[in-house]
Amino acid sequence: MDLFTDFFLLKDPNVKWVVIAVVLMSSSSAVIGCFTFLRKRALVGDAISHAILPGICLSFLITESKNPFYLLVGAFISGWIGLYLIDYITRNTKIKTDAALGLILSVFYGIGILLLTSIQNSGNAAQSGLDKYLFGNAASMMPSDIKIFGVFSLVLLLLIFLFYDSFKLITFDRNYAAAKGFPVKRLEFLISILTVFAIAVGIQAVGVVLMAALLITPAAAARYWTNDLKIMLILSAAFATVAGISGTFVSYTFPKMPTGPWIVMVLSLLAIFSILLGKRKGILAKWQKSRRVETKMLHENILKCMYHLGEVNSNFLELWSFAEMKDKRSLSSKQLNEGLKKLEKNGLVSIRGKAARFTEKGLEEGRRVTKIHRLWEIYLTKHMQLPADHVHDDAEAIEHLITPEIEKELEHQLEYPLIDPHDSPIPYNNKE
Amino acid sequence: MIEHVENPVLELHNLTVTYDNKPAVWNLDYTLPAGKLIGVIGPNGSGKTTMMKAIMGLIKPSSGYIKLFGRDLADVRDKVAYVPQRGSVDWDFPVNVYDTVTMGRFNRKNLFKRINNKDKEIISDAIKKVQLEAFAKRQISQLSGGQQQRVFIARALAQEADLYLLDEPFAGVDAATENAIISLLKEMKQQGKTIVVVHHDLQTASKYFDWLVLINTRLIASGKTEEVFQKEILEKTYGGRLQILTQVAELLKQQGYPVREKKRPKG
Repeated sequence: MDLFTDFFLLKDPNVKWVVIAVVLMSSSSAVIGCFTFLRKRALVGDAISHAILPGICLSFLITESKNPFYLLVGAFISGWIGLYLIDYITRNTKIKTDAALGLILSVFYGIGILLLTSIQNSGNAAQSGLDKYLFGNAASMMPSDIKIFGVFSLVLLLLIFLFYDSFKLITFDRNYAAAKGFPVKRLEFLISILTVFAIAVGIQAVGVVLMAALLITPAAAARYWTNDLKIMLILSAAFATVAGISGTFVSYTFPKMPTGPWIVMVLSLLAIFSILLGKRKGILAKWQKSRRVETKMLHENILKCMYHLGEVNSNFLELWSFAEMKDKRSLSSKQLNEGLKKLEKNGLVSIRGKAARFTEKGLEEGRRVTKIHRLWEIYLTKHMQLPADHVHDDAEAIEHLITPEIEKELEHQLEYPLIDPHDSPIPYNNKE
Repeated sequence: MIEHVENPVLELHNLTVTYDNKPAVWNLDYTLPAGKLIGVIGPNGSGKTTMMKAIMGLIKPSSGYIKLFGRDLADVRDKVAYVPQRGSVDWDFPVNVYDTVTMGRFNRKNLFKRINNKDKEIISDAIKKVQLEAFAKRQISQLSGGQQQRVFIARALAQEADLYLLDEPFAGVDAATENAIISLLKEMKQQGKTIVVVHHDLQTASKYFDWLVLINTRLIASGKTEEVFQKEILEKTYGGRLQILTQVAELLKQQGYPVREKKRPKG
């Protein structure tokens, strides 16, 4: 518990700076990652992060130091070469993008592991800790690392802020941007540079293996909550921040624990949470929607059933027993009970024991549904060349969906017909 | 039948564009008058979209040149607005109608310029002209095809250009939208704008446009509608590709010959 309060109250100044750096690093990756995600280049991010490893190893071999700046430069160069090769292969050979990505990812990563292993076996004392680039270990960052990574991340965020409009434009509609005279190629180049930089910086916290998750997962999760790019960027940064802090906390508590997997774990939880509960296309939202549709259909079917019963003797306000209703239309007792209860609550029917009758408002609604059903049947026979005995089932489904605007248009186009294809009258409201 | 005009708004001079060394449009050469509603007609795969893209500088021609208002595109960018095909973007993008139309006001000369009050007025006005005020805050994937098309047109309107190039604005839209768009285009013409529309429906072509350009990889005709909308010309346009021309195009692709020899300095 002490560890927990110590960490989150940022008592240890060291911890404070690590947390700030990790938050900046994660959120800058997450923000540029939104553009990677929307440009449908998620896998490119994965390939680049793996392609960075040989650069780190080589720059260590050349400079024989772990100065983060040199490592960053090495990472950037080899990431860039990877990116360039992917584009080059796709453009100039018969190999398609997916294969090119797989090729670059595995070849570069293979070379990286080869170099890393030989460095580790070389007996060079300075090498210890280089392997943290595989899975990341934020808590072990040196103050000098923190400064460099923090500043890079801030610059990254600032550039995205400045170029926000242009990035949005070329991500959405590249051709239009080019036609408007925007320097599309240069802007795309800038996005690529920023992405490679974000990856090169981010691997400090997450490591090359899992870096793509930091780039893409926050964006994918954020997309479930909003239809506004600005909010998507902010949410994405927020998710990455939460994950970054949690990961750092774990590796602060258990110094042997790598940060990366924990950050990615938390991010994945956030993503699953978003997929389930996201208000845009989330599973829960979809389920609620289909529930709403079912309820509406049930209610309208009950009202229509009561209207049909009333039609027999033109006595619409009579009291109908549940049994009579079930006779008229196949409804389970449970459906009927629940539906009528809800309808009573909405003031459309009133229930007397095991029977129910329309209120004025309910009668209106029953008439409307019946009318739409019959209008739609006429429309089908007229425009789809369907015989009268083929149109009922279709109308059963469509009647629940017709909006007042379409209803009016139907009446108008069909010129207020009086009977449907089965010779039942079309019930108009007296006001019409 | 090719009618040339004085002071053309748009001039194509021997324009050839190739994909993979195979000409998609071949030696297009015509001029278009100002202040007209112009239809570009031709069957599927006849190079209409390629031609539009070449005019907007999105594809480099293999040979020939294009002049707009008698100048190069780079000099007159701000006087030209382009409406790409609706299917060319992913509509599931996190922006709403207003944001999308705002893109029409983005400034290529100053990437950091923010939208000011005058821009906002122009944007609202453009949205009003395509009758989407009620949908301004709606995410663009939640629009019908016709509404999406109108968003694209509004975005071009917000550019306040003199020449508008629309690629298949009537593809997959309902009749009501088609009518609304065509009356908007006619209104723009009244204000002296020139509008070039790629269109593939012959039924309506003669009704909508003052001037027609008929192409099928090569230019078939360009002129006033009443003069070029004739049976033989239409048959020529839609009568399939020329056999020898198609064969030569295939050869160009397979053998890698250039579509035009490089000019060597004489002497």
